[in-house]
Amino acid sequence: MFARISYALRETIASFRRNITLSAAAVLTSAVSLLLVGTTFLIQRAFDNLLVQWRGDVGMIVFVRPDASEEQLTFIRQTLEAQPNVIDVKKLDYLDRAASFEEAKRVFAGDRTTLSLLTVETIPSQFKVVPLTTDPALVRGLADQYRNLPGVQGVALAEDEFDVISTMSSFVRGVTITMSLILLGVAVTLIWNTIRTAMVARRNEIEVMKLVGATNWFIRVPFILEGLTQGLFGAIVSCGGLWTLNQAWTSGVAGFKTGTGVSSLVVPGSYVSGVMIILLVIGALAGGIGSGIAASKFLDV
Amino acid sequence: MITLVDFYLRMIRFENVTKLYGSDVAAVREASFDIPKGEFVFLVGPSGSGKSTLLRLMNRQERPERGTVWVAGANINELADSRVPYLRRGMGNVFQDYKLLMNKTVFENVAFSLQVIGRPKHVIRQQVPQVLELVGLADKEDRFPSQLSGGEQQRVSIARAFVNRPLIMLADEPTGNLDPATGEEIMSLLDSINRTGTTVVMATHDHRVVNAMRRRVIQLDRGLVVRDQERGVYE
Repeated sequence: MFARISYALRETIASFRRNITLSAAAVLTSAVSLLLVGTTFLIQRAFDNLLVQWRGDVGMIVFVRPDASEEQLTFIRQTLEAQPNVIDVKKLDYLDRAASFEEAKRVFAGDRTTLSLLTVETIPSQFKVVPLTTDPALVRGLADQYRNLPGVQGVALAEDEFDVISTMSSFVRGVTITMSLILLGVAVTLIWNTIRTAMVARRNEIEVMKLVGATNWFIRVPFILEGLTQGLFGAIVSCGGLWTLNQAWTSGVAGFKTGTGVSSLVVPGSYVSGVMIILLVIGALAGGIGSGIAASKFLDV
Repeated sequence: MITLVDFYLRMIRFENVTKLYGSDVAAVREASFDIPKGEFVFLVGPSGSGKSTLLRLMNRQERPERGTVWVAGANINELADSRVPYLRRGMGNVFQDYKLLMNKTVFENVAFSLQVIGRPKHVIRQQVPQVLELVGLADKEDRFPSQLSGGEQQRVSIARAFVNRPLIMLADEPTGNLDPATGEEIMSLLDSINRTGTTVVMATHDHRVVNAMRRRVIQLDRGLVVRDQERGVYE
């Protein structure tokens, strides 16, 4: 067993060296496509940060002062629930101060100044309201009505903040996902072609191997490992690129004024690490699948 | 169930075997014969008569359209693809163009046969020098094929085929690229391998080789077996 593993590894390294130009091209293409995949994840996360407050068709947020009394809170809830014809009462959601603080950590991820001013004690709690009506005038009328309730700090409307971001998010997501899928396809094809070329170049060796009794898997494994390595190397390069990109982005966002909302676009390092692991898995899988198909299809060279 | 009769009297058996290329070009037609264990058989005939196809049918590089090929008591037509490598481990193959790996040394070429079937290093280190000694290349194990003569390259090819001590050796025109004197040396080597009990089937159209050896001759003409003669000659 050890002899076979050792043979497979030696052959993989030797073949990688022999086809260094094609291998480098496959690695770079994988890296670029995976970088785009990673960037898609980060862009999506950045937009999610902006939109996190408005998830689930929330059309209005009623902010309650942190010093509001239990009676005031109950009165606000009862007022909201008293209008089942214009508000989806079942979807009415209340975020207490602790939950609101957790949400604020995402919204103000890149705005450390604002975040440092917020605490669980000073942050307003909030009612997330899903309006049943689509009439903007009616929703504005409701907002004006709620603003005057005792204990209410303010009311925010989705249409003021949400629509442009949401449209832009969908557009950017569509474009980046399409491009990354196309490039991923190109990377798999290039790896497939690299392995095919390697197999054709070694057709005499493969013929001899088959005639002396090597199993098909024994012949295939070094080629599959070679493709997997190309995909994995591409993923490692793309991880480096993604980390650099995110660092540059975070520094750039820090230059914006606080309160502009741009700070929400910062993606935390823990999330980037998660994306990097996903990229490594996708890279290895893409390389393994591309080379696996080639190694099976061109075994009879 | 493989019986001793199968094993000794029918190491290779062809029963009405027909192999077509395309829909109607018959490379081999209705071929039937038995080759017992330890026999030395020449397949003779002009180019295109079906000699190489018969060898390719024996090691399952080809499958017949009709008829059955038996090797060591097993019907190899019905052998699952995954079992074919194990069939081939019992066979050595020698080619006219040697099919050596030019980037490997003599030792590595011979060791390759053992490596790819997973033999451990200590076995390889023991068996390869033995077989190189047998073929007279013990002092050239570090040379590359390009540094050897044609005859020496064919010896390496034979060493690679024999290092696994196969039951059967299939040789396709092994003297085709060699001068007569070197061809005789190669035949002498194949003869000595045959004397160890290995069945040797050799395709050739070299009259001198066949007539000098006087072994069994199966003659083909346009895919048909036209003669099967003990201690035969080839005119």
